[in-house]
Amino acid sequence: MAAHVTDQQLRQIRSILLEGWACTGCDVRGPGFSEDCDWFSIRCGNELRKRILLKSLSPQISAVKNNVKKKRTVICPFSSQTSAMFSELQKCPRNVLVCERSSFMNEKSRHDKHVSQHYFNYKVSVFIPHCGVPPSSLSDAMRRFTRFYLVREVPVFELLGEECLEKTVRTGRFYALSYKTRIDQDDVVALLPTGQLILSVVKDTYEQLGLEGRPSQYAHKRPMRYVVVIDLTDKSMAPGSKRYDRVLWALREKVPLKTDFLMACHSVVGTEAWSLPPCLSRYPWKELQASVDTQTLRDLPCPVLHGDDLRGETACEPHAFLEWLGAVGLGIGCENEATSFLSTYECPEPRTLVDQAVLCTVTGLLLPEDIHSLLEELRRYFDQPKSSSWLSLVVHGFADSPISWGMAEHGFHKGGENFYSFVLFKNQDYWLHMGTGANDGCPP
Amino acid sequence: MSDPGAVGGSVTYQRLVHKNSSGFHYMKVSLVFEKEGKRIDGAFFKQLIISALRNVYGEIGAAFPFDVLKFEEKSLTAVLRVYNSGLVKLWSALTLLGSYQNETCAVRVVQVLLPYQYTGGP
Repeated sequence: MAAHVTDQQLRQIRSILLEGWACTGCDVRGPGFSEDCDWFSIRCGNELRKRILLKSLSPQISAVKNNVKKKRTVICPFSSQTSAMFSELQKCPRNVLVCERSSFMNEKSRHDKHVSQHYFNYKVSVFIPHCGVPPSSLSDAMRRFTRFYLVREVPVFELLGEECLEKTVRTGRFYALSYKTRIDQDDVVALLPTGQLILSVVKDTYEQLGLEGRPSQYAHKRPMRYVVVIDLTDKSMAPGSKRYDRVLWALREKVPLKTDFLMACHSVVGTEAWSLPPCLSRYPWKELQASVDTQTLRDLPCPVLHGDDLRGETACEPHAFLEWLGAVGLGIGCENEATSFLSTYECPEPRTLVDQAVLCTVTGLLLPEDIHSLLEELRRYFDQPKSSSWLSLVVHGFADSPISWGMAEHGFHKGGENFYSFVLFKNQDYWLHMGTGANDGCPP
Repeated sequence: MSDPGAVGGSVTYQRLVHKNSSGFHYMKVSLVFEKEGKRIDGAFFKQLIISALRNVYGEIGAAFPFDVLKFEEKSLTAVLRVYNSGLVKLWSALTLLGSYQNETCAVRVVQVLLPYQYTGGP
């Protein structure tokens, strides 16, 4: 009787039955595997609750289908839980991907603004198809990234010292970010090149500090994290003023916040390279250089891109393209068959086979100014005739940074993603993809 | 789920905002055994996860596809790809997984990310 029910039919029946009828504890065991059986059994919480004869199955299924269609909430007859529990499990936090298409020649192009406002960058990857060795000008640009410092156990009030301010905030574009502090659990401190000091602190620290701040945007009903922003360039924060003394007192006496810092300063061209001022170099420190890694990939399937088709109607869709770039970066194989057990991932269609391609990654505290000059260098790549019609630059921000673009607050939630990616085309057109996760504003 | 954004001054400017339109999530996980030196290959690893899913959600609850994009046998780390709708189920099943062939083990979730982002992060 049951022998004619195939495995696939069985799966369909099960999913229809469970989608609109049962709770998460329910399970359907079917015949199909044994021939002398002519019923489905429904179990809830490991107990056999009901048997449905195969011949009475179709009215059941049509009733369920009807419920699903009308989005009616159904209560499981056995455990009195609603089937909505099942759909609750399928939800996931929002994510945003902004795609822009423009040209570098366009006067109103905002590419430089997007780059310069993404302050804390952790990793830059450049991918060039049809290229065996990166041009020397490009490798130079990658080696020219500003050196940065890792300073251990710095009390935050040191950053406010008059001598220190003179050597950091007032000399150039100074960046500082607390190191190995988690944005969803610890106190995080960042100093932006605009002279703003951001203290993103947990509730206890905030209450002890006694500085004015606001609850974090991504807090729940009862805020557990607060953000204090202090503008060090403001008149009211001039050394000696009441407000300045108050902040100094809070950070020195009330809560002596201490953390490891990553610091770098972009000095104006022509002046001496910046070095750590004495007020900071009295703590243990290390000078670091961004690490560059270059690899050549051979015989790589590569999606075809059309510069004027941002939406991906005729060629590769943005998500699929970014996914493919990620797969390349991780060395994930794209030649899986549709029936493969382990993975069914494939390079998006339409595609071509590229004989060789270069992938360069730079990691460290990377300053927007350096990324901007790298971008300018990449634009010059097409000055000489090249067989490739595009190349890409991807920049990842620090997952635990308190901000993403400009002053937009950034949180971690699940992955703390904040990144942007340029695809540069031969004719100076570009695509810009900017992506953020759940605890983040929409990219500018 | 995309809505055409504002069109700037130039004809060539175009802006699209995609909200929640990425179909997948990626997880970087590592398998840790209490006793060191245990070997396992990719296929067994996937089978282990499937049986963990079945234990928690039953036959139907576990019937959703996911991919093991990469598995490193040396370090026992893997990159998984799962549809958004399966993320919570997969994650919870991984958390509740406790043994493999009578040996105590655990799965640590290192990162959970969106496309491309899964290459990076400090």
